[in-house]
Formats: sequence, C-alpha cells, structure tokens
Amino acid sequence: MNELTALSTELADIVGKVGKSVVAVDGRPRYGSSGVFWRPGIIVTAEHTIRREEDITIALPDGATTSATVAGSDPGTDIAVLKVEGHAGDTPTVAAGDPVPGNLALSIGRSPDSGVNATMGIVSAVSGSWRTWRGGRLDRYIRLDLTMYPASSGGLVVNTKGEAIGIATSALSRIAGLAIPASTVDRVVDEILSRGHVARGYLGVGLQPVELPDHQKGLIVLSLEPDGPAAKAGVLIGDVVISLGGTAVTDTDDIQGVLERHAVGQTIKAGVVRGGNGLFVDVVIGERPRRN
Amino acid sequence: MREFGEIAERLRRSTVQVFSSGHDGGGSGTIWSSDGRIVTNSHVARAEKAEVVLWDGRKLEARLVSRDGRRDLAELKVAESGLTAAIAGDSDALRPGELVIAIGSPLGFAGALSTGVVHSVGPISGMGRERWVGASVRLAPVNSGGPLADARGRVIGINTAIVNGLGVAVPSNAAVDFVWRGARPSLGVTLQPSPYGMQIVSVDPSGAAAAASLRPGDILVGTHERLLEMLDSGQDTLRLPFFRGDTARLREVFVRVAPRRAEAA
Repeated sequence: MNELTALSTELADIVGKVGKSVVAVDGRPRYGSSGVFWRPGIIVTAEHTIRREEDITIALPDGATTSATVAGSDPGTDIAVLKVEGHAGDTPTVAAGDPVPGNLALSIGRSPDSGVNATMGIVSAVSGSWRTWRGGRLDRYIRLDLTMYPASSGGLVVNTKGEAIGIATSALSRIAGLAIPASTVDRVVDEILSRGHVARGYLGVGLQPVELPDHQKGLIVLSLEPDGPAAKAGVLIGDVVISLGGTAVTDTDDIQGVLERHAVGQTIKAGVVRGGNGLFVDVVIGERPRRN
Repeated sequence: MREFGEIAERLRRSTVQVFSSGHDGGGSGTIWSSDGRIVTNSHVARAEKAEVVLWDGRKLEARLVSRDGRRDLAELKVAESGLTAAIAGDSDALRPGELVIAIGSPLGFAGALSTGVVHSVGPISGMGRERWVGASVRLAPVNSGGPLADARGRVIGINTAIVNGLGVAVPSNAAVDFVWRGARPSLGVTLQPSPYGMQIVSVDPSGAAAAASLRPGDILVGTHERLLEMLDSGQDTLRLPFFRGDTARLREVFVRVAPRRAEAA
C-alpha cells in the first residue's frame, strides 16, 4: 500500500469512527443540518439551522430516527442544545490544546439519505477570544479552509487524531466556515442545561460615545430603561460613563466586553462624569430581557 | 509523494475531451478499454457522432454506442487501439473521507486536476433513489463525463453534476453495469409532475414512447417510482394508462421497450 492510499484509509477510518457521534438534524425547511452527541442524550447543533421548536427529527448513526426537543439555544454563539430520549449516543473525545493554522481538519456531518459525510481542509487561522456579529463570545476564533455545504453546519470538526476541535458553522463568518471551539460549546451547554438559556448581562442604558472637554472619551447616557439596573442604581440621563468594573470604556463593545466577564446579579462599579464631577455608582448587573 | 504524480498522469491519459456534433460546449470522457470504448455522461454525448480529443491532442471521431438518460451515462467508440484505459474500482466499497482525484478540461485546459475527499456515498436529497458518489472536489461543468478516482488511481465514479458546490459522480459500479449490459429500458421522454400523473414534456423521436405514438402533453397516470419499477421489471411490453386532453377519458397504450443485453453472468 502506498503512502497516499494509507492516508486515504486513515482519513476514512477517522470519519467512520467519529461519525458514530454525529447525527443528521431536521429542524428547518429545505436543508437539514448535522449535530453531535456532546453528552449522553444531549445533541449540539448550529442554532441557525433550527427554525422550529417542535418536530425536530434526528437520524442516528445506526440508521434509526428519533425526535428531539430543544433544551435551549444561544444565537450569540450559534449553539442549540437538543435532548433525545432513550439514546445516549457516543460522545467525541475533545482535543487537548488549540489547533494551529495549517493543521488538517475534517468536518464530519450526516444526512438522512446517504449517512455520514465528510469534507477536508486545513485550519486557516486561530486567534484569541472573539465576539461574533451575533453578540456571543467564542473562546477562540478558529477559521477553516474547507468547503461547507448547506447541511455541514452543526457537524463535528476534528483533527487527524479524530479529536474534536469544535462544531462547524457557516453562519458566523461571511468568508469562511468556523469551528465553534469545544470549550465554548461546553460552557454554553452547561449554562443551557442549568438555566435553559445563556444569561447576558444588562445595564438598561442607551449609550453614545462622546469626547469630554479634556479629550477623555466616554459614553453618554441617552436613555434609561425605567426600573432597569442602571436606573435603580441612580444613573441619570446625561451622565457620561467612563469606566466599568475598573476598565476604561469608550464604546459599547467595551461595555459588552466587561459584562461578559461578570455574572448576572454581581455588583459592578461604574465611573461616571456628572456635571463635570467624577463619581462612582454601584450597579447590580441585570439580565438582558430575552426576545420572545 | 512521487506516486501521486504518476497516478495523476496515468489518469490524465485515460481522460478525453468530448465535443458532440452540432452542440456547443463539451465535456469529458473516460477511456474504458484500450480498444476505444469511452464512457461519458449522456448529457455530454448528445448526438450520434462526437469528436474526441486525447490527452496528447490527437483528435478522433467517435460514434455513439449507447445512452442511458436515466443514469446519465453514454458509451462512445473510437476506432483506435493501444489507448490507456482507466481501471475501475469498486464504488460500493468507498467510504466518506477517502481521498479522490478528478480530471477534466475546464476552459479547454486539458487534464486539469482537482483533489478532495469523498463526501458521501448514497442517495442525494432531490436526486431520486439512485446512489451517487458525492465528492468534496472543485468541479467545473466540463468535468462531466470525466473520471473521479481514488488514491490508487482507480476510477470510482463518472463526474456528472455539481450540486450546491458538491461534486456528484455516477458510481463506477453503475458505469460497469451500463457498459456490460447496456442502457436500462426507458420510454425516451422527459416528464414533469402534473395533478393527474406525469405530463410528457418532450419525446425522443427514436425512443419507445415515440414508437407507441405518445406525444408531448399526454399525461401518464401513476407515480414516477411505479414507472421505474415497471421499466426495470424485465417485461418488454408495458401497458400504460394515460390521458390525452380529456382527463375524463382514460386511454391505454402498449409500449415496447428495448430489452437489456444478457443478465450479468
């Protein structure tokens, strides 16, 4: 057997083995998607591929079909958590350490028609914590150079040892498929299973970046949610917020960044300039109301 | 990897360009035997005659031997010997993740190569119940009819279509069956769904339906699946109920379909 054939066989072996934890998910019209048994009885898929709450069908690796219920989802990180009864499923081994650009990666999915499927490419970029355009935070930005097909999202991205790098999604970047890192999936699954959703910190203020006369930058409070966390703490319209939790803030991204590092219910110090005087206000972080 | 170059070069020599007489554009073909059998797609071999261009630029005249529109396969024959025939692999043994190589002639550039992996093996949503080899390789329309090969260089599919960017190939086992036993019986019509059954959109003048005086606009009663079952049943005469104009009056037609060559021995 030549080198090329050996590599080919090895890749197919990985797909066969890892495919045992990958299911086909039918939760939207036209194209289905893929999903992964992340924990016994718990399937993770890409949130953008789930367009209904009920009648979600799962095609299992053994060919059987079953139905799933939505345990919760987090559009910010594009993760949906599904529960199935009576099927524990095989869960993948998670890779220790981060991938590096150039590593080979396989994205493994499943379709109800033809069973397990695979695409191959490389990890093209890896960087630190990254906020998605949907507002969630991924522990790593892992960009993939491999072809994503309509039903690839929600599939499992693995390295050449067959270890999980993350969950494939085409919805978080216009230019490439991404892997939602396994550690982010873990965190979101934990939160959804304990609370049913991912709670996001909320101050209840409308802010606009401004420059103060001393060239310091801050965010002026333009609106206040009545009885919102900031209003309750005594923040007034016209206050200029210049720091939050000890971090200087100059745009709304900075505010989101601070809130992501603090739990809902925690008290945080906001530094504000009011009528030319600096003062601190203690705000109890509220939970962002969820759209229904 | 030295072997890779050798495999690719051998495969390149088994790949031809096909230009059907009287039709624009062209496709590719796969040399099936050293004495001049060439397998391509039926949507590439649309006329009785075609021009075939070999890897070294030689131009040969080919005649159409057989077409199977249902499987999108056609067999051509050129009067030439000593050609480099492709070696067929077993497409039923293919597994997703295996490395694959496709050869075609995009933009007239003969023998261009693309590589990838097997994406899926089996039916593809919206493409009937037939089995296909889905390949995660970048194909161009002129790849049609050309070979999709495995890591050993064995042909495991005939590139046929591009669906949402996915390369779709007819499994080589279906091509082997076609060359061995000829086209599967067909009516020689194109159909579209209608409230009463399947409406005939066009009729191949040399096909079985034309010989039975069926014509465009007629509506065949029943499902497509049932029709395929009847065609594959081995009967040489099919009794088909149909409507012509008046959907209150059911008519019947007897269609003689061409039998296949001997069952596989």
